[in-house]
Amino acid sequence: MLKLHNLSKMYRTDEVETVALDSVNIEINTGEFVAIMGPSGCGKSTLLNIIGMLDSPSSGQYIFRDEDISDYAESRRSHIRKKNIGFIFQSFNLIDELTVAENIELALLYHNLPGKERKERVNDVMDKIGIAHRAKHMPSQLSGGQQQRVAVARAVVGNQGLILADEPTGNLDSAHGQEVMEMLRVLNDEGSTIVMVTHSPAHADYARRTINLFDGRVVTENLRAVG
Amino acid sequence: MIKNYFLIAWRQIAKNKIYAAINILGLVVGLSVYVFGSLLVDYEESHDTFYENSDRIFIAGTLFSATANIGVGETDGIYTAYAPLILAEVEEVEEVARTVKAEFLVSIEDDHYYQNIRFADPSLLKIFDFDYIEGDRRALDDPSGILLSQSAARKFFGDSKALGQVLLLDHEVSLHVTAVVADLPPNTHFNSSIIELMGARFEAVAPLAALNRANGYDLEGNWNNLSMGDITYMLLPADKTRDWLQTKLDGVFDAHFPEDAREFITGIKVRPLVEANTVLFDAVGLPIMNSIRILAFLVLIVAIANYTNLATAQSLGRSREIGLRKAMGAARWQLVVQFMVESLCITAISMLIALAVLEAVVPVYNTATGRGLVMDYGTILPWLFLTTIGVGLVAGAYPAYLITRVSPIDALSGSKGVKGNRFRSIMLGLQFSISIFMLAMVLVVYLQNQKIESASNIYPKSQIITLKRVGVDSIQASHETLRNELLTLPNIENVSYASQLPYEQSTSAFGAGIEEGDENSGFLMSQVFIDEYFLDTYDIPVLHGRGFSSEVAHDTLVSEVFAVNVIINELGTTKLGFATPGEAIGQVFYDFPDERQVRAYTIVGVWPDQNFQGFHNQIKPMIFMMQPDYLTRASVRVKGSAMGQALTDIESVWKRVIPNYPIQTEFLDDTFGQIFQIYSIMTILLGGFASIALSLSMIGLFGLSAFMAESRTKEIGIRKVMGASLPQIVNLLIFQFSKPAMWALLIAMPLAYLAAGQYLNFFAERISTTAGIVAGAGLLAMALAWAIVAVHAIKIARANPIRALRYE
Repeated sequence: MLKLHNLSKMYRTDEVETVALDSVNIEINTGEFVAIMGPSGCGKSTLLNIIGMLDSPSSGQYIFRDEDISDYAESRRSHIRKKNIGFIFQSFNLIDELTVAENIELALLYHNLPGKERKERVNDVMDKIGIAHRAKHMPSQLSGGQQQRVAVARAVVGNQGLILADEPTGNLDSAHGQEVMEMLRVLNDEGSTIVMVTHSPAHADYARRTINLFDGRVVTENLRAVG
Repeated sequence: MIKNYFLIAWRQIAKNKIYAAINILGLVVGLSVYVFGSLLVDYEESHDTFYENSDRIFIAGTLFSATANIGVGETDGIYTAYAPLILAEVEEVEEVARTVKAEFLVSIEDDHYYQNIRFADPSLLKIFDFDYIEGDRRALDDPSGILLSQSAARKFFGDSKALGQVLLLDHEVSLHVTAVVADLPPNTHFNSSIIELMGARFEAVAPLAALNRANGYDLEGNWNNLSMGDITYMLLPADKTRDWLQTKLDGVFDAHFPEDAREFITGIKVRPLVEANTVLFDAVGLPIMNSIRILAFLVLIVAIANYTNLATAQSLGRSREIGLRKAMGAARWQLVVQFMVESLCITAISMLIALAVLEAVVPVYNTATGRGLVMDYGTILPWLFLTTIGVGLVAGAYPAYLITRVSPIDALSGSKGVKGNRFRSIMLGLQFSISIFMLAMVLVVYLQNQKIESASNIYPKSQIITLKRVGVDSIQASHETLRNELLTLPNIENVSYASQLPYEQSTSAFGAGIEEGDENSGFLMSQVFIDEYFLDTYDIPVLHGRGFSSEVAHDTLVSEVFAVNVIINELGTTKLGFATPGEAIGQVFYDFPDERQVRAYTIVGVWPDQNFQGFHNQIKPMIFMMQPDYLTRASVRVKGSAMGQALTDIESVWKRVIPNYPIQTEFLDDTFGQIFQIYSIMTILLGGFASIALSLSMIGLFGLSAFMAESRTKEIGIRKVMGASLPQIVNLLIFQFSKPAMWALLIAMPLAYLAAGQYLNFFAERISTTAGIVAGAGLLAMALAWAIVAVHAIKIARANPIRALRYE
């Protein structure tokens, strides 16, 4: 599905040059569930942002579905992104002024779909995730776990093949965290490719493969037997 | 505690420099315009208060009916026949003085000047106390006396003593100087802008008896001559009021005013002296003073709305501070006070800067317009102080209310920002309504002025040099010679004499009708006396019939012959009842004189309906007649564009033919321009106010959209991650501001349309595309607003979304 080849990312200020990612080589196949782990500041989020095409690498290649997108302009990356990638954030990132249903619909809003089809797909995904009864509520009226479920629903409503989750359970208690992880496992079973950044080894266990980062380098890759 | 309020206010200003700068700039502009506008209007409306008797002096004006068709509702004077009647019948009136302006050639030995002289009843000097340098207030008791202003005396006699010196009017009437008074200050109606426009500054005053000797003026006065600036003054005892005088003069009008003229003149209007300076603004129906007041106030409102809006938007970022203060035990009123102190500080700073600006602007204005505005802090300070407090409180009230309303927990968590979206939208809508309204009015006024100017091109005004005051007997005798000599010049195409030129605003008219003796069928017919070359000189076509010839009997009006041939305009033929203008040829109509035999007017030619007087005037039924005695102006039509050379040539011919009178020339273009200037001032005035209001709105919108875009950074980040493109984000932000702007359009455009209609009613020929112009102004304002919002929107929309999401 995607392949990173000798990919590096440097942040530069006037005085210091920080290496966030240093010659990373990763290949992720369709249908995989990959966890990325490592201490704070090791480059996990940078890696996820680059995979999610929110950020561009300083050097190296990023091949997405056989297309080298490393040098693509933002508008072109944006086009590929909205077709292929769904996001889940640690802080949910729901828009406060929109209802649950509208927040989910946001992911379809920019896809040129007719309004009726958008509504149907939003209703389907709300049923599936179990938040249909909250459709008209505002995010501030929901618990953290419910908000993250809305975020998951938003990430999958567009049927994007790749779901990127940046510490999806970081702001949740263990019960709700468990719930979200179960949801991700179901999505993976149904064919979605999932890349997740996490601090929790327990949650990393849901993934089939774990990539450990340290100071911007890939240190180990563990493959797990299919549980 | 109070110290703390000011400290916080100051730190807030220092911390948000751009925000404070935008706020202060807006308020400075708003306050400057408001204070200046008020000063200006107060100045114009408080003239003449320095005369000892100013509270007891009254003037009277004449009210015209709508059917008079003269374009004004009233004038500043009454017929000179009233004064003797008032003196005789209203005995409480202490003094009555008439004034009549007239221009004469004044000769002091071999020096000649054209000078406007105010002829007056001697009692004028008892009504007004002037500052006498030589002589005293008995100066006009001598029928050959003349009072001069100091500058006029210096002009005529240099530094030598003026008292007793002799001036000769039109080479005939000798007057000697009986008094010299100090020049009047600018703030007297004697020097008002409109009177000045007619060249009648307060320079020379002579008794009416002298006018009687110079041109046979009837000292009893008359019922047929009203000229702007010829004012009758009355001095009342201290216990009598304006209403009392009004009642008395109504009685005089009812008893004496000629019956046959009451159709056109409906009465007398008494005004106190203080209104003498502005009465002519009322008369022409251009409410300039009120417009300035309203416009200046609207600009201030826009500035206040600006402040309120920005302060509300900025308070979004201060909810944490408010929460903390509340948690620490601050009562709500204390927080309100804190915010009010802040807005008062900003208003006070703005007021100080505005006053500094005005200190620089007022002298420039005074020099440019000959006014005497003073920033007299002794009298305006309380008003300035109250204005500052008022503006500060009004501007600060809503932001203070809004931000202190939030509960401390919500404020601290920052999860619930301060709302007030609806209020901001209303404020924005208000600003835009005012701006769009003004913009539309500017366009309407401007385009109407363009129309006046282009309509004036029916006559070849840029090719005509006019010679004034050629009606003096000795010059009239040389008309023929002058014409022939001028025609020998290479560049001169034609020369013609007339009693009135195009664009001149004075008219002369008489009652006329198709049935002899049937006054009920009569109407006012304007008349202009011309010679046989006039129509050619001005390219006026003859549609039917023929032009004039001095060879044809009855083409020339002769006083004891009661039949004359005339050329009439199309409207005249319609008024007389002819179905087509062509049918009128050879037909006869009559006048209705009181004392002489009825005259028969035979129509020999028809000219098209042209707006002879130009400007706002309606086309009137109008005839041309030939009568050499009434020809007072010459028009010289020049070939090509060498006007300067032509002028020099004309001057040398004049010197040869008429050596004892100096030549007085004017380009017809300039005659037009002097009056057109009034209309241009309207455009400049409105344009100035409108561009200030509009730029204030834009500054406000700029600040507001910056805050709004910032506060939506997170949302925009999410949308971008979801795949929104740059144009989609920009549209989203623009839409937020478009809604109030759309409301503003809905409110402002009908209002502007109505107001434009009111303004255009003043003109006979109007622009027809008002709706389109108003819509254009709306679109222009919208486009500007969009452009400003788009600048921020694009900046925000281009930012990398992960920044916004990571540090939310």
